Amino acid sequence: MTRPLDGVRVLDFTWVVAGPVTTRILADLGADVIKIERRVSLDFGDRRGGLSGSLMRGKRSLVLDLNDPRGLDLARRLAAISDVVIDNFSARVMANLGLDYESLRTLRPDIVCVRMTGFGLTGPDRDHVSYGPTLQALTGYTLLMAEPGEPPAGFGYSYSDLAGGNLGALAVLAALWHRRRTGRGQLVDLAQLEAVASLLGPTLLARATDGGVSVPAGNASQEMPGAPHGVYPCAGDDRWLAITVLSDDEWKRFATTLGWSPERRFARREDRVEHADELDRMVTAWTRGRLAEDAMALLQRAGIACGLVANAEDLCARDPQLAARGHFAEVGTPEGRTVRLDGPPYLLSETPAHVGGPGPLLGEHGDQVLAGLLGLGEEAIRSLRVAGVVG
Amino acid sequence: MSGALAGLRVLDLCDQTGAFAGKLLAGLGADVVLVEPPVGAPLRGIPPFFAGVPGAERSLFFWFYAAGKRGITLDVGHRDGPDVLCRLAAAADVVIESEPPGRLAALGCGSEALRASNPRLVVASITPFGQSGPYRDWRASDLVAQALGGMLYVNGRPDGPPLGALGLQAYHQAGIQAAVGVMAALLARDMTGRGQDVDVSLQAAVAGALEHVPGFFHQDGRIGVRQGTLHWTRYFRVGRCRDGWVMHCTLGDWTSLVEWMKADGIVADVLDDPSLDEPKNRQAAAERVFDVLDDWAARYTVAELVEGAQLRRIPYAAVRAPEALLDDPQLAERGFFVPIEHPDLGATVPYPGAPFRLGDTPWRVARPPRLGEHNADVYRELLGGPPPGASR
Repeated sequence: MTRPLDGVRVLDFTWVVAGPVTTRILADLGADVIKIERRVSLDFGDRRGGLSGSLMRGKRSLVLDLNDPRGLDLARRLAAISDVVIDNFSARVMANLGLDYESLRTLRPDIVCVRMTGFGLTGPDRDHVSYGPTLQALTGYTLLMAEPGEPPAGFGYSYSDLAGGNLGALAVLAALWHRRRTGRGQLVDLAQLEAVASLLGPTLLARATDGGVSVPAGNASQEMPGAPHGVYPCAGDDRWLAITVLSDDEWKRFATTLGWSPERRFARREDRVEHADELDRMVTAWTRGRLAEDAMALLQRAGIACGLVANAEDLCARDPQLAARGHFAEVGTPEGRTVRLDGPPYLLSETPAHVGGPGPLLGEHGDQVLAGLLGLGEEAIRSLRVAGVVG
Repeated sequence: MSGALAGLRVLDLCDQTGAFAGKLLAGLGADVVLVEPPVGAPLRGIPPFFAGVPGAERSLFFWFYAAGKRGITLDVGHRDGPDVLCRLAAAADVVIESEPPGRLAALGCGSEALRASNPRLVVASITPFGQSGPYRDWRASDLVAQALGGMLYVNGRPDGPPLGALGLQAYHQAGIQAAVGVMAALLARDMTGRGQDVDVSLQAAVAGALEHVPGFFHQDGRIGVRQGTLHWTRYFRVGRCRDGWVMHCTLGDWTSLVEWMKADGIVADVLDDPSLDEPKNRQAAAERVFDVLDDWAARYTVAELVEGAQLRRIPYAAVRAPEALLDDPQLAERGFFVPIEHPDLGATVPYPGAPFRLGDTPWRVARPPRLGEHNADVYRELLGGPPPGASR
């Protein structure tokens, strides 16, 4: 079946998380993504499935020693027949290898070259090393994800890598669209700092205009104020229900469903916000004895936005909605195993994106890529392997 | 220079749950026309407001999401509304909407009706749970989507409640995934000649912004837990300096970090344990290691500690408030914030700019539209006449 990026080749030097998130979207959309890897790769367990498999799904893997001129030459020859070259090293690495945009353009004038760095290709911090947690610290997520009056407790994972990676895919698609119309490639300079900062728009505009100080909001509403709004404990161990009641109509439906007489002092939104703590205690008294699943179904039937706080098992094994959307894919491996992987979160009706295969083993497609794309003979490949240029 | 998507026309019917998608496409240079009800989009009523004073043209929330879009009014519920929308869509490449599933179809302007006169049209829908499935008609907020999408459970103190993300990140992820889906559909249109539907759910978009949670469950049934600021890799944890918080990092140059602490007179077993030269062992001993780092960090200010770490190429970072970004030298040098003039208010406001930079096709930020500001222009350009009755 046709996929939107059929015929597009991506030479992928990315590693760890943010870059692979970008290229997994391109692979889901049908691009031929060739991972250039080092002999020692930093994996999170199983490369076929699991976290590593989800990051590398549908890609091919080639191990090249880029410190050897022959390895570098192979990388350049692959770049010359690629549409996109992408890396997420710190700024100077690709330049030192002679694989920066200016050099790549001489090999392929219409190349789309994507450089994903922590701080960007210019500016005083361009050579600073960053990781997801450090970027989240610098941009405010860490400080403000806290219960009121409590120390920072936020982001137990690198959301910024996912956010930056997903935005990176949009950048590539836009650049490819532009290239199809004009015949021109270009350089994409994606600073993860800017990518995650751009996702704090309303807060930044507020501080830019009021000069105020941001304080942690806990689980209070960050759009229209309202109450009750938060996460409430349910029956069982570490079970919770998120509930959002904003408008007066929603409040009426909510109170009626719980069998509460509509008290006048809670009738208006402002009054509910003022008495949010008291409401939270009342809601907690109601949720505590109920299963999150039951409370969720009851309130949703009344048109109240609510949802259980899904742990990994709820999400991956029990959620009927994600299952109905086919969110998780089961794919076979060449070893005869079946692995489960995340799939694309958006559905296209005519040319669907889908998981093209499991994650590759390290260097799995070396022969295939070197013979099939560069026309190297068996003997040439064997001697490159013996020399340690190809893994 | 024009944007990468110059020449593309997008009709944006979204509320706050989907508004980020159109903002991204507008930033990339598409002509995004925000279609608001004549009373104004609900976003205009969402705080904060400029100078704290409510008003349809004063919502900073609206400003952010509408910056760079043009604005027209149309009452889709008016008896001519659906027809006007179909005719507008006939002159567009993309429609993005966030109505409850089936509502536009019931009005006679669902994606099939919109595509009847324009087979090349891409219709993207952003809804809580998607266009089909058992939760199709359920409701969600940003927090609820984070809950059912798996983000909430792993954020917060181990002994405290799950904690939502700063800044409506479920809406933002859905917006990004919708923009990705729209671009994919447009690229497919080059091959097939036809448009298609893009179905984005807030819940699935959140699930697509997780890191270890689904992968580890699929691999061996492991369930990620809340552990405060201790990152799941166990290489990062927040510590306290004299004047604020800092992000510790035990990846990078451990030897330099140990030397620095020893020079400061710190005595601790973790500083004399050669097995900790191996990152994996620091991961295993994370609590012990970070406790020692915390005692040591308490004698420094955040600025002193971060500067010392950067000199040694140890990737420490200050735990800052978002407002620190407004004065960040790196962002200033790169011109991240874009001054936008609001002549009616006599104010020039720095707007957050590009999430990424395309070298030859720059990102665009422009003043958000006043209510109905582009009615005359857009109705003339798209329908060849004055604004219809349904626009009032």
